[in-house]
Amino acid sequence: MSNPGPESPVVLSLRGVSKAFGAVHALRDVTFDCVAGEIHALVGENGSGKSTLLGIASGFVRPDAGGVEIGGRHLRRASPAQARRLGLGIAYQTYSHVEDLCVAENLYLAVPHDVQPPYRRMSEWAEAKLADFNLSVPVGAPAGSLSLAERQLLEVVKALLARPKVLLLDEPTTALGPEDVERLHALVFEQSRAGVAIAYVSHRLPEILGIADRITVLRDGVGQGTYEAATMSEESLVALMIGRPLEHAFPERSDRKAGEVLLSVSQLQGERFGPIDLEVEKGEIVGIAGAEGNGQVQFLRALAGVEQSTGSATCNGAPLDMRSPLGPLRAGVVLLSGNRGSDALFPVLSVRANTTIQVLRSLGRFGILRRGLERRTVDEVGQKLRIRMASIEQPVQSLSGGNQQKVSLTRPFLRGDVNVILAEEPTQGVDVGARFDIYDAMRTKAAQGVATIVKSSDPLELAGLCDRVLVISRGKIIDEIRGDELGERRIVEAIVGSGVGRPPAGATDVSTA
Amino acid sequence: MKLRAWMPLALMTTLIVALGAYATVRQDAFLTKYNLGNLLLTMMPLALVALGQTTALLVGGFDVSVAALMTMCVVTASFTLQPDKSWTTLLPGAIVLIGVGLATGVFNATLIRFFRLPSIIATLGTLSILEGASLLLRDHPEGTINPDVISALTASVGFVPFAFIGVVVLAVLADAWLYRSRPGLALRAVGLHEVSSRRLGMRTGRTILLAFVACSVLASIAGFYLASEVQIGSPIIGNYALESIAAAVLGGASLAGGKGSFVGTLVAALFLTEIDNVLPLFQQPTEYAEMTIGGLILLALVLYQAPELVGRFRAAWPGVGRLRARDG
Repeated sequence: MSNPGPESPVVLSLRGVSKAFGAVHALRDVTFDCVAGEIHALVGENGSGKSTLLGIASGFVRPDAGGVEIGGRHLRRASPAQARRLGLGIAYQTYSHVEDLCVAENLYLAVPHDVQPPYRRMSEWAEAKLADFNLSVPVGAPAGSLSLAERQLLEVVKALLARPKVLLLDEPTTALGPEDVERLHALVFEQSRAGVAIAYVSHRLPEILGIADRITVLRDGVGQGTYEAATMSEESLVALMIGRPLEHAFPERSDRKAGEVLLSVSQLQGERFGPIDLEVEKGEIVGIAGAEGNGQVQFLRALAGVEQSTGSATCNGAPLDMRSPLGPLRAGVVLLSGNRGSDALFPVLSVRANTTIQVLRSLGRFGILRRGLERRTVDEVGQKLRIRMASIEQPVQSLSGGNQQKVSLTRPFLRGDVNVILAEEPTQGVDVGARFDIYDAMRTKAAQGVATIVKSSDPLELAGLCDRVLVISRGKIIDEIRGDELGERRIVEAIVGSGVGRPPAGATDVSTA
Repeated sequence: MKLRAWMPLALMTTLIVALGAYATVRQDAFLTKYNLGNLLLTMMPLALVALGQTTALLVGGFDVSVAALMTMCVVTASFTLQPDKSWTTLLPGAIVLIGVGLATGVFNATLIRFFRLPSIIATLGTLSILEGASLLLRDHPEGTINPDVISALTASVGFVPFAFIGVVVLAVLADAWLYRSRPGLALRAVGLHEVSSRRLGMRTGRTILLAFVACSVLASIAGFYLASEVQIGSPIIGNYALESIAAAVLGGASLAGGKGSFVGTLVAALFLTEIDNVLPLFQQPTEYAEMTIGGLILLALVLYQAPELVGRFRAAWPGVGRLRARDG
């Protein structure tokens, strides 16, 4: 870790910045500074205002109140060009490449005029610069054709080319494997040793504790204080981020007596899983665990009729037609896809439209929609699931990840005839606070007699939420964990295969999937 | 440059030569110095306004007010460029015409940048205003244009008008600027992805503003040539808005912005004018010309996408194979 002295100058300073988007306050009176040679991490849940803060610092977002100083000089108006001139470099989470232009052209446009080589020498210059940073990507290829990891590294290199005094990194490791993360961190250390101030935003707490000198925590757009990284732990950071201790993050399990079987699966087999036999009772939440890519997703999708399979299943005693999604839907079997953005939601449509699209018939009379009834219905379910939105007319794409997931959860809530919920990674990309609301909603539904199967890659989530957990490896159920045995550690052990009579961890072959 | 970029130029040139050859064989009147000179002159208004439209398309916008602006310029010329005036009064008169273009461009750009109106809506409003203003100034064709100005505009070396040479040079320089300079690269970047460009630190607002001003100024210069053609202050509006977009798109410009070529636009303008020129030679009614233009635009757009279509087709094949294997 680098050690900025107390006399190091403040290079980036945000004083009392506030910003509201419509009725949603993204930031309230937040103060953040970064001194030369320091790595200052910024943490918070999704939607806590981290990206807005970076946007304001980089001149991309105009604050409603407060001011920005870069290198001791005031940023007079919201202009990324001016922020760059004052010495600010930023690597955006959602990249800032023009995808149709090639790598060299993107790098060329990213640096100030005085650093730019003559136009015709652009390619050689770009190649030399990339070599400086040990990044080997073809300079003539369109930026959009690179892999996500390459684009993320390119984004950082691009920010560094202008030789900034302060470097902002917004979730710079989301697409990187462990090796690339190390490369990136080595680069970040090198820059901070050279005196560059670094503001580092990430949700990966172990990463932050390993790299940062100081940590500032944001919650709901309000600063929760700045701390020396050495004095913090993951637990203390999470407590600051969610504002309550971690233990209460799961709803109470209801006392459920063994009931009747609602969903019964027999010899279900698909290209990447099976044969699987499974019975789920009314009101039960069953977890599916396993290393990624062992057929868990395909199993859920086959049950929903999205993926081809052989074998049979019954729901409520009646055979389930799984040849197309229509059969399971009619039988009240609902899939909550993990890929919300492209599979489950209509991003540009409003919360209202996304919520009621499956139940429009029940909200109308003679084919004409009753707007008042629709609005009341959406308001009600929105409150029940605690969806944070400015209004029900807000487009779903402008909500945070957790609230988007809640919107897709409204659908089984509105349909009275739901029997089975198949949830695929229900809280992926969802912040800690919203997770509780989602768990709570699923418990509520279970209490009403719905059978639920949850596929999750988070063992802690499965242990806290489910009544029993099935562990799948190479498409087959290899273990069942229930009762007092059910815990995070036990699930992880089962997945990595360290339990009695199973192959050691290294032998778990995830590549077959 | 890649295939996608050369395709429009190649296709347009082929069609021009093919149509020209056909006309030459069927009609003696086509390949004459008189007809060719006339062809190049009648092309001038469309060529200039289409070059302007290309700049608007490059930043991802449309300008549908160009035709009304050209008419406004013709009407203005019937006041400021009247016969029996000396050059000392004609010169300020010409500057007034450019001023009308400049003012319209700034007006459009303001609506689009500061009031955030979609360009097609903003310029539609401007179109109506200009149309009304033209009718206010001249409710019927009246007021002839100074013949000295006309002969200066239509002067030529051999049968090739100076204006044509000028517009070719302009298009070549503009393309060199667009593809061989930093500001040109910045203009394309803004058209391809405005948000990313702003994040990269480019002044996107200024770029878009200048593009729309350039478009209107070029349209007002096109107005000079329209005036020299109609020779009278006529408030009737030609179909230049759609034709200029057609020429730019046939020349390779993308409606989504960021892609296009000034030379391509010029060649496409030449082709569209050639169709108009050839059909009367056969005593065909101009309805055929309209229909041909429409069909060719569709054909060209499909052909320009050919590389992507071929790619998509290839990508689909392994998938088809997989499905078959599973069935069997």
